[in-house]
Amino acid sequence: MARRKKYWEDRYYPSSTAKPVKDGIKAKSQRGAIGETWWSKRWVSVLESFNMGARLGRGRSYARRGQVISIAVQPGRVKAKVQGSRSKPYAVEIRLQPLADRDWELVTEAMAAQAIFAAKLLSGEMPQKIEQAFDAAKVSLFPTSRSALDTDCSCPDWANPCKHIAAVYYLLAERFDEDPFLIFKLRGRTKDEIIEVMREKRAARLPEESVPSPADAGLMSDEEVTPLEEQLERFWQVGDLDTFEVRLRPPEVDGAILKRLGEAPFTIGGKNLASLLGKAYEAAGAAALRKASEDKA
Amino acid sequence: MKVFHAIWDHLNLLHIWAESSGLPLVISRRRGRPPKRPKPRPHPFALDSDSLREAIGEITGSLIARSANSGAVTIRLPSFSQGPLPSPELILETVRGDEQATALLPWKLATSTLDPHSALDLLLSLPIRPPHGIALGGSLRFWAEVAKFSLELIVRQCFVPTVQQIQPEGSTSARASWEVALGEEDRERLRLLAAAMPPLCRALVPSEDEPSAPPLSLISHFLNRTVDAFVRERLSATKFRSPRRGRRPKVIPLAEQWLRALSSADATLRAPDKELTAFTKGIDSWLAHIRPAGSEAPFRTCFRVEPPEDAEDGSEWRISFYLQANDDRSLLVPAELVWKARSRVVTFLKRNFENPQERLLADLGRASRLFPDLEESLQASHPTALELGTEQAYAFLRRSAPLLEQSGYGVLLPSWWGQPTTRLGVKLALKPKAKAKAAAKTGSGIMGLDAVLSYDWQIALGERTLSRKEFQQLVQLKIPLVKVRGQWVELRPEEIEKAVEFFQKKRAGQEMQLGEALRIGLGQGESAVGLPVMDIEGQGSFKDLLDKLTGDMKISLIKTPRAFRGKLRPYQRLGVSWLAFLRQFGLGACLADDMGLGKTIELIALLLHERAGKKNKLRPDPTLLICPMSIVGNWHREIQRFAPSLNVMVHHGAERLSGRAFKRAAKQHDVVITTYALIHRDEKHLAAVEWDSVVLDEAQNIKNPAAKQTQAIRRLSAQHRIALTGTPVENRLSELWSIISFLNPGYLGSAKDFRSSYALPIEKYRDSQRAAALRRLIGPFVLRRLKSDKSIIKDLPEKLEMKVLCNLVQEQASLYEAVVKEMLAVIESSEGIERKGLVLATLMKLKQVCNHPAQFVRDGSPLRGRSGKLARLEEMLEEALAAGDKALIFTQFAEMGGLLRPYLQERLGCEVLYLHGGTPQKQRDGMVQRFQEEHRGPPLFILSLKAGGVGLNLTAANHVFHFDRWWNPAVENQATDRAFRIGQRKNVQVYKFVCVGTLEERIDQMIESKQELAESIVGGGENWITEMSTGQLKELFALSRDAVSL
Repeated sequence: MARRKKYWEDRYYPSSTAKPVKDGIKAKSQRGAIGETWWSKRWVSVLESFNMGARLGRGRSYARRGQVISIAVQPGRVKAKVQGSRSKPYAVEIRLQPLADRDWELVTEAMAAQAIFAAKLLSGEMPQKIEQAFDAAKVSLFPTSRSALDTDCSCPDWANPCKHIAAVYYLLAERFDEDPFLIFKLRGRTKDEIIEVMREKRAARLPEESVPSPADAGLMSDEEVTPLEEQLERFWQVGDLDTFEVRLRPPEVDGAILKRLGEAPFTIGGKNLASLLGKAYEAAGAAALRKASEDKA
Repeated sequence: MKVFHAIWDHLNLLHIWAESSGLPLVISRRRGRPPKRPKPRPHPFALDSDSLREAIGEITGSLIARSANSGAVTIRLPSFSQGPLPSPELILETVRGDEQATALLPWKLATSTLDPHSALDLLLSLPIRPPHGIALGGSLRFWAEVAKFSLELIVRQCFVPTVQQIQPEGSTSARASWEVALGEEDRERLRLLAAAMPPLCRALVPSEDEPSAPPLSLISHFLNRTVDAFVRERLSATKFRSPRRGRRPKVIPLAEQWLRALSSADATLRAPDKELTAFTKGIDSWLAHIRPAGSEAPFRTCFRVEPPEDAEDGSEWRISFYLQANDDRSLLVPAELVWKARSRVVTFLKRNFENPQERLLADLGRASRLFPDLEESLQASHPTALELGTEQAYAFLRRSAPLLEQSGYGVLLPSWWGQPTTRLGVKLALKPKAKAKAAAKTGSGIMGLDAVLSYDWQIALGERTLSRKEFQQLVQLKIPLVKVRGQWVELRPEEIEKAVEFFQKKRAGQEMQLGEALRIGLGQGESAVGLPVMDIEGQGSFKDLLDKLTGDMKISLIKTPRAFRGKLRPYQRLGVSWLAFLRQFGLGACLADDMGLGKTIELIALLLHERAGKKNKLRPDPTLLICPMSIVGNWHREIQRFAPSLNVMVHHGAERLSGRAFKRAAKQHDVVITTYALIHRDEKHLAAVEWDSVVLDEAQNIKNPAAKQTQAIRRLSAQHRIALTGTPVENRLSELWSIISFLNPGYLGSAKDFRSSYALPIEKYRDSQRAAALRRLIGPFVLRRLKSDKSIIKDLPEKLEMKVLCNLVQEQASLYEAVVKEMLAVIESSEGIERKGLVLATLMKLKQVCNHPAQFVRDGSPLRGRSGKLARLEEMLEEALAAGDKALIFTQFAEMGGLLRPYLQERLGCEVLYLHGGTPQKQRDGMVQRFQEEHRGPPLFILSLKAGGVGLNLTAANHVFHFDRWWNPAVENQATDRAFRIGQRKNVQVYKFVCVGTLEERIDQMIESKQELAESIVGGGENWITEMSTGQLKELFALSRDAVSL
């Protein structure tokens, strides 16, 4: 049985008594900085540069504890529900000034001039130079001042941001890790819209030329299986495996899989999972090589 | 016998089950109509659980057998009305009828089940040649191959950690597991495996009415489970991070839980649903980096590397971008063309493609993580290529290209890249030591593998030797890719370092034995210098010898010796010349020509050639020829026939010489023939003689290096050693080691080293690189020509007949003499029809004795070791089977066929068909049809001469054995023609068995010498013999002394 709350506690010491949330959205990062990619880190550092006070820190621990119940990113705005000390969760809304159509026009024009923007975005990464493209339109991707962020929270706290809004800021950063296009959505354009516009712009940069129209159908890829009843003749037999050679040689590039995977989105004690896993590959690979040379003849 | 099978189920278990030929084949017939949905019934000849486990212990050892549990499955098998049909590997003692599968019916059987880890253990420890009486069915051999693939994928580190939330949705636990990550080539190999999967693997009847999993998914499932089990087990001892200090928190972060779940028996992660979902999503999107993007798409992105036209003018390397068709890798769409496409769906090269620009862009974006230099080129709006300096290009070729390739990109590299000829290496230059020079020049002196040579390492770039100055010039360029005389070469920095070091240390006048030099030069491993060995080169007078040894230069042909009575076919002359060449330099030779190509006469010609060269000297030392008992007579007769000038002494039998008498006698002969069985027993006498050569016929007899016989043979002192064998030595590596070690002791290293560096990788894993290295290594000492070689075929007649002369064993000889004595006495006192009948009866009895005492006595006694003919037949069939050939065996005696069938099945481990007068027509047709099936079906077919001599078409056979003789060429030829007729694509070899020194040999000689007799008189069967006088008969039947072997 929980201790019965004194009436003032709610108001004056709210941080210690927020109601626990079952299945809340917990920040993946439980220690250190939040955000794995450079762009989410940039988002966090932009916010932290606004000197928004201690509430920001409390918001981070809110985010880690899982007080945020839901988050929905819509064009130009984020809506969230955050569990505070009251029984009813608070409604949080964060609005970012969407860019004007004319500004988007300039930004996409600048992005179309260099393939790296589309290449990185399509492969799930935010191009390092993305802010240059926005500079071209004399606008900014990230908010440049506190005033660019228009926020609301239904909590009684007079501070802005309150810790509920701050918690949403942090979880947004992790959302950006997963999908860099969300930042654009907040500034008024969806991924598909941007990709479409960029395709047009790329085309506009080339002289007109006709391209043949579609003709042939696609290729089959499903596994076709002959019913067993039709295979009575070779029912017991192995097909030809003479060319099946087993290559028991260590890989050309050591730990190639981890190199291809890159940094993992999780760390333990400040060490990235990918580097911790390196040992597994070494140990298992060497053990398998030993096993291959075992000889029971 | 028992045949083992395997089946992999969806509960991650490998089921092993076995058929046994010792159990009844059929079940009692059901009454009434067969039901529409037949109920599973117990399999009548599957082993029960206990015998199964015991049998598994026999194959793989008790340790693995102990980790198995008892299980049961229901499997659908091809069946006929009275039960399931046996697998083709199951050799039945009784003659199989003509049952045809009419349906797939469900059968219940006991299994031994293994978890993925034990399954991997079992499958990887299956013997290449299972013990006698045990066969591994196709399904088991198949899963063993997949298990090797699992092991390979772990060695190559092709696996990834994964996490899956356990269904249903909203669950608070997840499973961590390792899964295989297959590159494009591996997926191709997976498809190869899937295509080869025996249908049996999918015959498990699942508990529900779901269809069995298709091959690809079944194999992937197996790979994932076994790789997971192995990696997990291996990691249980690995510490991923230093232990946490302080108090253990109540809730362990998911990332940490995950690492634990990947490295311990418990694979579960626990956390609230949303947290788990977020974590799983995070890991999934991380792993997505290596998932081949859209392999189902018709195109993929491809990079083509082009070196600058002119290396001198400082122009750049170019990597251009393409889309490459997935179904035809030669079709490339340049990026320029992709940028021109305006619509969403574009057709290139008749293939539709959705959003090609986005695909190319996304691919370039992903690729830039593996190859950061790429980013620069993406500054352009429509990038088509990337220019790189030499250093960058080198980094791309060595590091980025393999990563990109593994990630599913096409990478087209210049053809010279990675070739040993465009890399830095060393050549081993050999020359004779000063005093040995003269000997090598004339070729008269014997050198042997222990001859000491002076050697020198030379730095080489591909084919070309580099002088110190040239090398220094290259090093000074300080770039890893250089064009030398129009050819790009790779200068690996680490190799340059080694080469520099080498030149600093270089000393002259080092020495090495010829054997070691060949081993290093031909084995092409790492050299002492640390660079790969490219070549071995003889210098000065030594060049010729080395070039001939390594096959770079043809061996000069010898003339057919004058004393040789006969004609050598061109390839036989080459064989003799080769033997003579190796002999000249004191090197042991293994002549491994296919059975029937005439190894015997090649050796006889060599003996004459050698002796012709030594005319002026005293009588040279004798040659000791060791062969199996069954062919002593054959050798003796062949030498007499082709080289009557040679004095031959046969050393065997109870009256053989010993001690000083043996030594004296041996010295007075050119050739002494003896048998393997005697070597150990008579070692004392044999070792007292200095032999000119020791020749082993059927050299596979020394396959067991530990056997006393083998060791005694190796102790014999001889100038020269030769081994003859018709078995494919390259496929039986322990045998090969033993033979080469006899010929050239020490050359292949210790048996243990040889096993781990060659036998195991080649026999178990089909390692083609090791196999190629071994072929190079033994190349100088093994000559093997096949009947199917184009150069041989043109020298061979389509039908090649030969007599195989066999010896009697003592038991046969005593029986033979007893029969002759008894019968002659009766014949002498009889007349007319009675006499005729008695003569024919005697003929019959003596032929039976020559075949086998058990046939004559009819007492059902065991067969082994009691007949020279049978021993020879067994040896020859073994060779034919080893070459993958099929054979017909004719006998005129139905009872002999009846004895041969079970004996050969048991000894040779394959099914043998037998057709005789009493075989019903329907069964005959079935047998013929099964025999004629290509690549499978029983390889041996015994036929009674009368029943099988006409009408049948048995062209699958290319060997025909006449175990006994009808003395009527027309009848025998008719039988032979079962194989030699339209449809036969190979040469046919016909072997007629004849017992030396018996009536068989005498009648054979009479027919040979009087062809006209053969045509007119003999055509009537054996009647003409009955007309002979008693005196003539006595002569005909008499047993000469050389008939008997031990």
